[in-house]
Amino acid sequence: MQRNVRTDRFIWIDIMITLLTLELMEYFYYGTRAVVLGTVCVGASLAAELISLKLMRRRFTADDLTCVSDALIIALMLPAAFDYKIAAAAGVFAVVAAKNVFGGRLNMIFSPAAAAYVFMYTSWKNQLLMFTEPHVHTGVFEKAGSLVSSASHAFNISGKMDLSDFEILMGNMSGAPGAVSILLLAVAAAVLLFRRSISAGAFIGTISATVLLAAIVPAAVSRVDSVKYTLVTNMVLFAAVYIIADRRIAPKRDYFAFFYGFFIASFSYILTLTTAKENSIVLVSLVFTPVALGFRNLEKRIETVEQEELRAASLTVGEEASVDE
Amino acid sequence: MFIVAEFIVLLSTNLILMQALGTSTLFVAAGNRKNLLWTAITISVFTTAGSGAAYIVNKLLPSGAADLTPLLYTLIIGALYILILAGLYFAGGDLFDTAKKYIHLSAFNCAVMGTLFTVTERAGIYTSLDSFFGFILAGAEAGTGFILASFILTAAYARLNSSKVPAAFRGGPAMLIYLGLISMAVYAFR
Amino acid sequence: MSKKKTTVFDGLISDNTVLSSLMVISPVIVCANSVQNAAALIYAFSAITFISVLIGSFVPKKLPYAAKTVIYAIISSIVYIPVKTAAQEFFPEVITRVGIYFPLLAVNSLIVLQPQTKFRSMKRTQMIPALVFYILGFDAVILVTAFLRELFASGTIAGRVVDMDTLVSGLGMPFGGFIFLGLLCGFYRAVRSAVRRENREEADSDVHSS
Repeated sequence: MQRNVRTDRFIWIDIMITLLTLELMEYFYYGTRAVVLGTVCVGASLAAELISLKLMRRRFTADDLTCVSDALIIALMLPAAFDYKIAAAAGVFAVVAAKNVFGGRLNMIFSPAAAAYVFMYTSWKNQLLMFTEPHVHTGVFEKAGSLVSSASHAFNISGKMDLSDFEILMGNMSGAPGAVSILLLAVAAAVLLFRRSISAGAFIGTISATVLLAAIVPAAVSRVDSVKYTLVTNMVLFAAVYIIADRRIAPKRDYFAFFYGFFIASFSYILTLTTAKENSIVLVSLVFTPVALGFRNLEKRIETVEQEELRAASLTVGEEASVDE
Repeated sequence: MFIVAEFIVLLSTNLILMQALGTSTLFVAAGNRKNLLWTAITISVFTTAGSGAAYIVNKLLPSGAADLTPLLYTLIIGALYILILAGLYFAGGDLFDTAKKYIHLSAFNCAVMGTLFTVTERAGIYTSLDSFFGFILAGAEAGTGFILASFILTAAYARLNSSKVPAAFRGGPAMLIYLGLISMAVYAFR
Repeated sequence: MSKKKTTVFDGLISDNTVLSSLMVISPVIVCANSVQNAAALIYAFSAITFISVLIGSFVPKKLPYAAKTVIYAIISSIVYIPVKTAAQEFFPEVITRVGIYFPLLAVNSLIVLQPQTKFRSMKRTQMIPALVFYILGFDAVILVTAFLRELFASGTIAGRVVDMDTLVSGLGMPFGGFIFLGLLCGFYRAVRSAVRRENREEADSDVHSS
């Protein structure tokens, strides 16, 4: 038990370090406003967590700080010049409607960040999918001068991207600030996988399905381009690391988690290809929550059967030993 | 591709997730996995057979008598209800005792009546649906949607009723919010 | 364990059709997103349910369950016809907007199922006020839901624009209805259990003091 608590806290620290690195990159590209936006989101989430835990008559512990990482994930998916009020509302929504009404961190059903993103997607889609260009710094209390659609949108519509590989790797393209820093995301994924802080099965499943489908049914003229651009657009890598491979949601066993990730990525790839729906992987991950729950129920049953078999085997051994005696 | 497209259609026309039809029935039946499955199957029978009968009624009904539609649909469902119960009763055995509770629960609810109205409404928009088999198919599709929604709820049922959920939200309210979040994601597909 | 005493007022708050029993929730989820819709639904629900249950109370109780269910549904479908004709005069636009949910009120659980459960053992003089409070309970919930959803989703109250700078348009959608009703239900239950606990404690302290 003690060990589990410690593991959970280490996982949270690992995730926080990678998220803060992405936040730093966001500061470099979009200035102070991006950091303030993250702070607003974290502040609102933390306040909502404190109040709702008080209403639930539960004590706030260090483990409840997961709301901070969830809020940072949300903030990294938002345009830097996004409305603070909506960001705060999303933070509250993630904590209250997607987490604490179901019992909080002890009984996680949905990824709070995914639920909050879809919440904003359904009510403020236009604001959510319009971004400032990289290196355009908007003042903390200013409104963005000119907004552009994301590079993902351009790729979904035309199947082309007018950016060099270096620019893509460095995140020098329009889009959700946290989701476009591809090099950092790749490093974060490697570190988190190595540290076992994310579900390896779910992550590999997501990436495999994306690569496989992008190669078989290309979204660009060449298969290589299709694989490359599909991985770096539509928040695929970001969602694979922080939403789909979230250990609190994904099935525990790697092979179940692999299929969970595989289904989400396949479904979202086809959805993007046929409807050009931007960032569909986040929407699909929310719809596939029952699949994760189904796998988890199955795992529980398997564990019960295994325990019963073990108990029966130990009883048989015990009986045989007593007969021998 | 085809499977994904069909799955999206099934989700985005789902009578529970998109129209909230039969939600109360789903909650009542959700207490037991077996109950839920049988209720979903019985509702599918009602929506399929009822839609076929609704097509005939729509064709026979004079255009000025549209206000009679609910009454005629009620008569259709009532007749189906009695016929199925009578059929099972005369078939004998334990089947009647086992199945009657599902039939009572499934006959008169928004899922069944709502399907008849929805199918009629859709047939008015998409003329390709306006045939006897089109109605039957749409009715079966609605029933399948109900089965899908029941699977979605079953997957989370234990967690939504767990002692970890605050007492005020345990059960019904948690189920409503759970379905709401899934419905929200499906809506975002459109 | 003592059995909870029932009163004719139960349907209004403690045994509310929507919040407590989670019945007749589809019109609340889908259509209760504007006060105008709510007014039309309140009128139709109240009229159809009251008249149908009243007429239904004359149906012999000895009839089999299935037969009574069908008879109640037929009665309400007949009552629906004049109610809809009148509604077309008062709420012509709302009828179109509410769509299939308007006729569906004719087969709501309060008409089809409750006469065989809640109202079964009641005398007619007792049943009528109880029924009125059950109807008022539904009306109150749909009105509150519609008011809040219209305000936050459209920034209007009964169609009049209110100064709101951030609107949550999703709240007006069916999924918004699901989430809103779930939260409202949770809030209602929390308040109800707090009141019950307080009443119990008061009763206990009265017993000890006497």
